[in-house]
This record gives sequence, structure tokens and C-alpha cells, in this order.
Amino acid sequence: MGISSIFDIASSGIAAQRLAIEVAGENIANINTPGYSRQQVVMENRPVSTANGFALGTGVQISAVRRSYDGMLQQQIVDGNSTYQQNLTRQQALEQIQPSFNEVAADGLGKAVENFFSSWQDLSTNPSGSAERQALLSRSQILVDTFHQMNTSLNTVAKTADNNLVGITAEVTDNARNLALVNTQILATHAVGGNSNELLDQRDLLLQKLSDKVGITTTLASDGTASVTLAGGEDLVQGTSYATLYTSASAAVPPVNEIRLSGLGNPPPVNNKVSDANISATVGGTGNSLGQLGGTLQVRDSMVPAYLAKLDEMASSIVSAVNTAHSAGYGVDGPPATTGNNFFAAAGTTSKSITLDGGLTAAKIAAGFATASDPAPTSSGNNVNALKLAALQHNSFSFSTGSATLSDFYSSVVGGVGIDTQGAQNVTAQGASFLKQLNALRSSNSGVSLDEELTNLTQYQRAFQGSAKVINVATEMLDTVMGLVR
Amino acid sequence: MRITGAMTAENAIYNLQQGRSAMETLQEQISSGSMVNRPSDDPLTTRQLLDLQNQISTGEQYSSNITKGELLLNVTNTALTSMSAMMQQVKKIAGDMASGTVDASTKAGALSNLTQLKNQLIDLGNTQIGSQYIFGGFADGQPFDEFGAFTGTNDALEVEIAQGSRVATNISGGSLLRGGTPPATVGAGATAGNSPTDIVGGIDALIAAITANDKTGISDGIKNMKAAADQITMSQTDVAGRLIRLDNMKSMLANNQNTLKSIYGELQNVDYARAGVELSQQTTAFTAALSTTAKLTQLSLLDYMK
Repeated sequence: MGISSIFDIASSGIAAQRLAIEVAGENIANINTPGYSRQQVVMENRPVSTANGFALGTGVQISAVRRSYDGMLQQQIVDGNSTYQQNLTRQQALEQIQPSFNEVAADGLGKAVENFFSSWQDLSTNPSGSAERQALLSRSQILVDTFHQMNTSLNTVAKTADNNLVGITAEVTDNARNLALVNTQILATHAVGGNSNELLDQRDLLLQKLSDKVGITTTLASDGTASVTLAGGEDLVQGTSYATLYTSASAAVPPVNEIRLSGLGNPPPVNNKVSDANISATVGGTGNSLGQLGGTLQVRDSMVPAYLAKLDEMASSIVSAVNTAHSAGYGVDGPPATTGNNFFAAAGTTSKSITLDGGLTAAKIAAGFATASDPAPTSSGNNVNALKLAALQHNSFSFSTGSATLSDFYSSVVGGVGIDTQGAQNVTAQGASFLKQLNALRSSNSGVSLDEELTNLTQYQRAFQGSAKVINVATEMLDTVMGLVR
Repeated sequence: MRITGAMTAENAIYNLQQGRSAMETLQEQISSGSMVNRPSDDPLTTRQLLDLQNQISTGEQYSSNITKGELLLNVTNTALTSMSAMMQQVKKIAGDMASGTVDASTKAGALSNLTQLKNQLIDLGNTQIGSQYIFGGFADGQPFDEFGAFTGTNDALEVEIAQGSRVATNISGGSLLRGGTPPATVGAGATAGNSPTDIVGGIDALIAAITANDKTGISDGIKNMKAAADQITMSQTDVAGRLIRLDNMKSMLANNQNTLKSIYGELQNVDYARAGVELSQQTTAFTAALSTTAKLTQLSLLDYMK
């Protein structure tokens, strides 16, 4: 061993500190990069030699550049994201639906129903009055319009959800393609024994993005590539190949979007809506509980239809009860006054199709009902039928939720919308704070701390200066030795 | 736990957001004056509020019905008061004629007087409010023709004044002036003064008796007219009774409405003192959060490195 080994040791130090400074620089540069995990250099001393009688190392070497990473935490974030995004989607849809049912702040369907029956009461106090008859007609039209308007706004929410499916599936496919690409790069880097830390970060970020949209199960291979299957067990990404998730119009009228998955490949086979599996039923997870896709399907397929069904029940009860009573009475369109007229069109028994009967006029409104002293056709001052119709307001009807008056039933629907919205808001807020906690843990583990990196930087810089000084000293030593022989 | 700058920033954003959202809720409550602005604010209270709204507006409809019923009954009452005054005159004329021996001009005067009074009674029987004949029952047109024949119906025109509770707002003209439909038989001899009494027919019979100087007929007529006056008085009592019932119901409804509205107010109105205190608490907390955030995010080792 000679002076030259001092040079070796010092230059290994310079090389190692330089690399450490590079890593610190990389960390600082990526402090705000989403999904980036901080990297640390692991230094170790080079093999010991005992050439000069003492066991001494031969300098320093970097054994690894390690990524601070917690796989368990990553998995929890992926799962938490799926649930959170599903709840968020539902909450947003409910917040769109709620204003239609907001009877507390503005008059809506409940008030329209009340006004309808109040008009019958008014008519009962002056059965031949044309003003009362006209008012009843207008208020009935308002009732019908309110039903239509609520039906439209609910259907708009469902339609928007249906349209959103196109964008969500496209994004899933996009992320799947990127993941397959990252997998390819990871394999290539692996093959040449390179460091794929950044690629692994990208892989994790893509998995997280996928989990936003749809429920996924991930399998990590020992070579670092990730394979993804959807909630129904279908392969989305398998090594370097991926499948296309896309929407196609169903055969229903009007058509809705079905979700289909193509076969695997890179690029995957062309979409074929005949042979590709329709995975609409499973892609959102059990009860459409996962991802934006699950939430959106839930809005379209269960939430909106459930509210529409309630409105339809109400419309159908009003139409049948009012028509039954109305057709038994007599108008003032005589002589002779006609009977057997429907008030609402008999065919329109849903919130969408409810309309006033085409032949209904103010004079045909049947306020009269034959009595012993006023037999059919009744006189114009007869108010018995008007009283019967007004009394329907307090009649109990049989609804899917049990027996209730129209107002009670509607109040319970409004309360139900409130509970659903509040529930969705609560679970979304909980999900958000859970995710925040997970992200904080991830950040604590993998995030870059500027203070830390700056401290490291100083530390490595000083070490670098130290090694340089050693070279300086060795040079002087060499000069001294050379001077001896001169 | 290792804390990074990103964590501090994320925490700060999250907490500032929480503070803003709490202040937003309070601000909305204060500016709208309502505790519940949408069903999801408090679904249970929403149900209660809707039920209360329902009851209040049903109550309003009933008080509007009562007002209309009162109008009809008051007009009926006025007509009955006039009828009652006329019957006093008819009774007096009949009494004057009781002896049967009066000079021709007095008799002629009395006869013309009675005819006039009969016609006036029939006119009152055709009293209208707007286009509604108050003594016509359900019938479309004028209930009495010029001879006093009743063409209306005897139905009661009922209005609802509370759930399931109805009050008739009219009196049948046929029963009032003709003792029923068809008209009651005019009492004579032993049946004179029986009720129900055909008032119009009774006056006609009285006129015939006076014309014929029929003393028995006149004395039967006097009895009949007394029963007739009682019949009208009874109707008056009936109408007055119904008016009292309406009046009672009205004050009961008003009481009820007051109670309902005050409960509604308790549930829905914002307690401004509480909201104000809470808002100032929130504001203080938020200001503190802002100031610490501003201070902490400034801190960096960079400032101390040369």
C-alpha cells in the first residue's frame, strides 16, 4: 500500500458524496411531484484490506439508492380512494337532486298538491262560480307541470350520470395503457439491472388514479410490474398488455350506456360490442360501491329510479282517486250536464305522463253529485262531489312505504332525500379525513422534507470538501516524496 | 412522526377549509333567518316543518271556508229578519180582520197589503249573493216563481270547516216558505196552526177568507200566520246557532294556527344571539388559524444558510 491508495480512498469519497448530493438534488427538485417517494443513498465501506498490517477499508461505496415506500399504506390509499370517490359521486348527484325536493325553502310539489285540494274546497263554497272553476283548472295545470318538472330534473341527473360514464371509462383505458407502458419500462430497466425507483412511483400513482375511477385488485410481480383486475375479476392490465374499457349504447329505448371490456393486448383488439363482455353489472363492485364508475352507475340505476318511482306512485294515486270521484259527478255544461268525465287523462299515471284530460273544460268540472232531492243530472249549485274530492286530501292511500295521505307520503319522500344527502355528505367527509390521514402517513414516510434535504446537502458537501482535502494532502505528500529523490 | 412541509401545507389547507365551511353555514343561517335551508340540514326537523306547513295551510283553507260560510249565513239571516218583520204585519192585518165586519175600503186596503207582503216574501225568497240564490238549494235558477211555487231543491249546501266537520250554509226555501216540497197542506179547523206551515199558501187562504168574509177561515188564518211567524223565527234561531258554531270554530282555528306557527318558528327561526356568538367564536378561531399558517409556512432552513 502506498500513497496511491489514499487517492483511491479519497476519490471513492468524492464519487459517493457527489452521488449523494445528486440524490438530494433530485429529492428537492421533486418535492412537489405527486406520488414521488423520497430516495436515500445507502453508503457502505469498501472491502477491507490488511495490506499494511492493519485491517482498513478501501473507501466508500453506494450500495443502493433506496426508495422510502410502504406497500401496505399504498394499498390502503388505493382502497380508500375507491370508496371515497364513489361516495363523492353520489353526494354530488344528491346535491343536484335535493333542490327539486326543497320544500322548506320554496314551494314545490307538496304545495301544488295542497293548492289543488284547496281549489276543490273553494269550489265547494260556490260550485257554479266560473272564477273558482278556472282557478281549479289553473292549479291543476300547475300540479301537472310540477310533476313534469320534477321528473325532468331527476331524469337530467340520470342522463348526466349516463354521459359521464363515457369520460370515466376513457380515462380508465388511458390509465391502463400508461400502466402497461410503465410496466414495459420497468421490465426494460430491470433487464439491464438499472434503478427503477421513479418508474415504481409512476406505477403507484397510476394505480391510485385507476382506483379513483373503478374498483381494482392489484397484483405486484417480483419484477416490479403491476397487474390489475376489475371488481368482476376481468383482466384490465396484465404485464405489458392492457384492455379497453368502453361504453356502448344498449338496446333499450331510449338507449343507455353499457360498459364493455375488450380482450388483452398491446394495443388491445379493436372494440367489438358483440363479442366483448358486458360488465355493467359487476364493474362497480358489489352494489356499485367502488370508484366514480360505481357511484355514477348507482346514481343512474338505483338512486334516480327510486325517487322517480315514488313520484310515479304519487301521480298514479292522485290520478286514479281523482278520476274515480270525478267521473261519478256532474258538470255544469248542460243541460243536460254530462257525467263520467275523467279529470286527468286515464293513460297518464306516471310523473312523466300525467296530464289533464283532453276534454276537460271549466264547465265539465264535476262539482255535482246526484242526491235524493237533486237527482241526476244535477243542478249547477250542487257541491257534493266537490266536497268529496276536497276530502281526498285527507284520505289515506296505499303506498309502497305503507298507508299515508298524499302530503304525508310526499313529506316522507322529502325527508328521505334529506337523510340520503346528509348520509352521503357524512360518509364523504369521513372518507376525506381518512384519506387525509393516510396521505399524511404516506407523506410522513415518503414525502420530501426540505429541511432534511438541506441538512443532508450540507453534510454531503462538507464530506465532499473533506475528501478533496485528503487528495490535496496526498498530493503534497507525493510532492514531498518526489522532492526527496531530486 | 416525521413532518414534511407538504404535510403542513395540506393540513393548513384542510383546516382552513373546515373553518370556512363552518362560517359559511353560520352565515347562511343568519342571512336567511332559517335553521333548515335544505332537507339535508336536518332531515327529521324537515319532516316536522313540512307537517306543520301542511297543517297551517289546511287551517288557512278552513278559515277561508268559514268566512264564505259566514257571508252566506249572514245574508240569509238578514233576509229572515225582513221576513219576520213582514210576518208581524201579516199577523196584525189578520187580527184586524178577525171580526169579519169591516167596511169595504178597509178590506180592500188590507187585501192589497197582504198581496204586497206575500210578493215581498217571495222576492226575499229569491235573494242572491252574486249569482247564487241563497234559498234555492242546489238549483240553477230563481227558486220561487211569481206565484210562490218552489222550484229549488232542499239540499244543504255544506262547507268543510274542519277535517270531517261540515256546516250547512243555507236554509231550504221550500221548507221555509212552503212548509216542505211539495207544500204542506194549509191548516183548517183542527189542523190550523200546525207546523210545518205553508206560509205562501196560508196567506193565499187568508186573502180568500177575507174576500169571502169567512170568519172561521180568518180565525184559522190567524192561527196559521202565528205558526208561520214562529217557523221563520225558528229558522233565525237555527241560522244564529250555526253562526255561533262558525265563530267558535274560527277562534279555535286562530288559536291553533298561532300555536302551530310558534312551534314552526321555534324549529325554523335562527336564534340570532346564539348564531352571533358562534360566528364570532368561529371568526376568532379562523383568524388564529390564518395567522399561524402564515407564520409556519414561512419557516425554512434556507433563510439561515449562507
